[in-house]
Amino acid sequence: MTKPTANTMTNNFEKNSGLTTRDKVEKSLARRRAKETRFRLYGMASVLFGVLCLIALFTDIASKGTAAFKQTSLTTSITLDGDYLNLTKDSTVDEIRFANFDGLIKRHFAKEMKPKSRSDKRELFKLLSSGAGWQIQEMLIADPTLVNSSITFELLMDDDVDQWFKHDRQLSTAETNDRLSDKQLNWLSQWIEQDRLDTHFNTLFFTNGDSREPELAGIHGAIKGTLLTLMVTLILSFPIGIAAAIYLEEFAPRNKLTEIVEININNLAAVPSIIFGLLGMAIFINIFGVSRSTPLLGGLVLTLMTLPTIIISARAAIKSVPPSIREAAYGLGASKNQVVFHHVLPLAMPGMLTGTIIGMAQALGETAPLLMIGMVAFVVDVPGFINDPSTVLPVQIFLWSDSPERAFLERTSGAILVLLSFLIVMNTTAVILRRRLERRW
Amino acid sequence: MNDTNSMKLIENHKTTGEPFSKDVKISARNVDVFYGEKQAIYDASLDIGKNEVIALIGPSGCGKSTFLRTLNRMNDTIDICRVKGDILLDNENIYGAHVDTVPLRARVGMVFQKPNPFPKSIYDNVAYGPRIHGLAQSRVELDEIVEKSLKRAGLWNEVKDRLHAPGTGLSGGQQQRLCIARTIAVDPEVILMDEPCSALDPIATAKIEELIDELREKYTIAIVTHSMQQAARVSQRTAYFHLGQLVEVNPTEKVFTKPEHKLTEAYITGRFG
Amino acid sequence: MNFNQHISQQFNADLEAIRTQMLAMGGLVQRQVSDAIAAILNGDTTSANKIIKREDDVDEMEVNIDKECTHILVKRQPAASDLRMVIAVSRVVRDLERMGDEAAKVAIHTLEFANSNQAHSKICHQAIRHMGTAVVKMTSDALDAFARHDIEGAIEVVRSDKMVDEQYASAIRELSTYMMEDPRSISQAINILWILRAIERIGDHARNISEQVIYLVSGADVRHSSLTEIEEHSTTEEHLTTEKLPSSDLPAAE
Repeated sequence: MTKPTANTMTNNFEKNSGLTTRDKVEKSLARRRAKETRFRLYGMASVLFGVLCLIALFTDIASKGTAAFKQTSLTTSITLDGDYLNLTKDSTVDEIRFANFDGLIKRHFAKEMKPKSRSDKRELFKLLSSGAGWQIQEMLIADPTLVNSSITFELLMDDDVDQWFKHDRQLSTAETNDRLSDKQLNWLSQWIEQDRLDTHFNTLFFTNGDSREPELAGIHGAIKGTLLTLMVTLILSFPIGIAAAIYLEEFAPRNKLTEIVEININNLAAVPSIIFGLLGMAIFINIFGVSRSTPLLGGLVLTLMTLPTIIISARAAIKSVPPSIREAAYGLGASKNQVVFHHVLPLAMPGMLTGTIIGMAQALGETAPLLMIGMVAFVVDVPGFINDPSTVLPVQIFLWSDSPERAFLERTSGAILVLLSFLIVMNTTAVILRRRLERRW
Repeated sequence: MNDTNSMKLIENHKTTGEPFSKDVKISARNVDVFYGEKQAIYDASLDIGKNEVIALIGPSGCGKSTFLRTLNRMNDTIDICRVKGDILLDNENIYGAHVDTVPLRARVGMVFQKPNPFPKSIYDNVAYGPRIHGLAQSRVELDEIVEKSLKRAGLWNEVKDRLHAPGTGLSGGQQQRLCIARTIAVDPEVILMDEPCSALDPIATAKIEELIDELREKYTIAIVTHSMQQAARVSQRTAYFHLGQLVEVNPTEKVFTKPEHKLTEAYITGRFG
Repeated sequence: MNFNQHISQQFNADLEAIRTQMLAMGGLVQRQVSDAIAAILNGDTTSANKIIKREDDVDEMEVNIDKECTHILVKRQPAASDLRMVIAVSRVVRDLERMGDEAAKVAIHTLEFANSNQAHSKICHQAIRHMGTAVVKMTSDALDAFARHDIEGAIEVVRSDKMVDEQYASAIRELSTYMMEDPRSISQAINILWILRAIERIGDHARNISEQVIYLVSGADVRHSSLTEIEEHSTTEEHLTTEKLPSSDLPAAE
């Protein structure tokens, strides 16, 4: 180890350990490198784990959910017998609504398939969706002149048939579920041979409200409810939050009172959301008498919940405006208002918007407080405005996930997919908006 | 302020040298500044003459910047800051009961340590002051003010083709001159400069120093600087602050060859600070 | 806080270096002067030759010290007392070099006397001895005053220079009587005149050095002023000290 040319200083070191400083450094270098590599591996492993979980979740939801966008139906030609339905070409909408379309369909299929017994008949009719009659009704409302003519359309099948056709048809009969009897399977295979049974894009999923029948259940109501609720939330929480943040950050005197307010705002952000639901119930319903289950009420409650998030992020955005800009403006003789509105606000806006959209995204996915204010109710009608009873997407998902029918499982996943795409759209908007507003100079 | 009164103040002060001048623009009398409980300036009395560049020097934390900021009440933006004593601008106390800081700061402009142009165009940067104070009646008039200010700040030729380009896209020295142009656009009487060159390279610094010398013809300038050479180059008088006390004020040449006070000497010869 | 030390130790060392080198050069010049006067009085040509040889060393020292002064100016931009120190050293060094030149001149005249086979002249010996002793003392006093920052000592040197000037004037009168009495002695008398002139110049340079002491200490430039003016300056330019400002008024130093 000892180098003959080493100077006195290295000689001293060598006396101590027999190694030169350089040797020691190199020795420790290997150890340091190993440590670094190990740490990098840990990091990579955890990232990989996260990514895998995410992929698993998404593939699971997507594989289950995409089926929800398809619906099995039977191509059926049926004559709209005006005498049977008690309808003429000039019938009013109300008359059409009262006509017995279910009977018409049952008569048609009884004629076509010729079931032998009453129980056979019942089994046959079970294959058809209870919404089939409603399908014809809608068509007639759209065009009453169709009375007495023969129409061909995609008749909705029952969810059991739907599930069987989409998933179980390939399996051997023994393995198929017991929801369909051999007779029913027989009929179905007849239809398949006639090439009449097929899947189509499930428009009803997007145009219908909730329903007890999976094949009729849609998310239109929930989406509209969500949009209305978020609209109320945004309209209320954005201006209130920004105003509060500006006041607290720029104008409020620094004293005990503002300190208490600040601490409480920070605490509110950590309050479990269900508490906000209780609060909303106590205040908005009991005191102000806002009607339950409405987007207005939901929006009010979610406003309470998102306000702390918006205020905190808006204050952070205001704080991050460089003091030099403020000083420059003050130095030119700008008044406080001018400083805030000419300089601070424009610079803080991107940050404020980000905070707001994060708050909105949080509100979008929120369920708990809405359960407390009755938005969990089964609402079939699509809400027209903020004072109509409605539900929201996450609550709809919650409701469906509780339903026993197998077809609701894929609808749950489908709704989750829709919710996720909403979130993605919102976040993308946030990014684009921020990019556009942010002055990169 | 009458003569006997000011004579009495002169007798009472402890600062060595010549803190008082005949042709006064701003005079500070017995100024104490507190940050909360902590006193930052102790009984400082100083005159700043018309068309004079006065340099405030001293070690870090000596209160020179604080003193500068009391001259246009920039310290008002700090909640815990209190100022005692009088500061007279043209014989009017700027800490008087009914004095509005907005017109005051239009009269006493300020240039800061770091170039801090607004994230707007060069034109808008310069036009901002005239706009908020309503100095221009028309677009043409505003254009004139912007051009005049940029010319006086020695920046016109460099930016006249890109007035609507962002001000933050300029180099550091240009940004600082833009800030000076922005300050003189509101036509102040006094310009306060808080270490205006500390973030600049030597060439940009030389340009600013040259500019300061030119601006002296029209304005009264007080400049805080850490560079003693800079103080020696640009100023006519130099004031030395030490731990919140105004220790010595004298003509710059005297301060740098034969300071009166031991502390000044020790500081400018690099024995502490 | 130690006000005697710069934050930069190297700056201290640099300043100290030019000061000691200047004083060393002063010592050498002082020796040159006293040796030259002894040589002329004793007609010692060996000593005179040595003096002429050593003159090169003096010149070299001047160049070196001046170079170091320039370095300090460039590197440190000294101010106040440091600036005055550098400027004073630079000026003193120049005077010292001139004094060295004058000493060499005296030595050359010593050799000339020896070569011209002139009888070892006793003309004005007394004057040469007196003036010589006076300027040697002045030189050493001026350097001491510089080393000790002693204004009083410096003023004393200025006073002595006045006396030397008077002695020089009376020696000139003496010489002119010689020349009038005996025209053959004129060439010799002129040589003596040159020597006296050289010694008088050395006195003037010593005075210049003490003026730089006054500049160094008080900051007053007293070149080309009369003795009374100098005395006035050195009393009014009193250095203000921290004691004058009640130290209790100053908050504790960082």
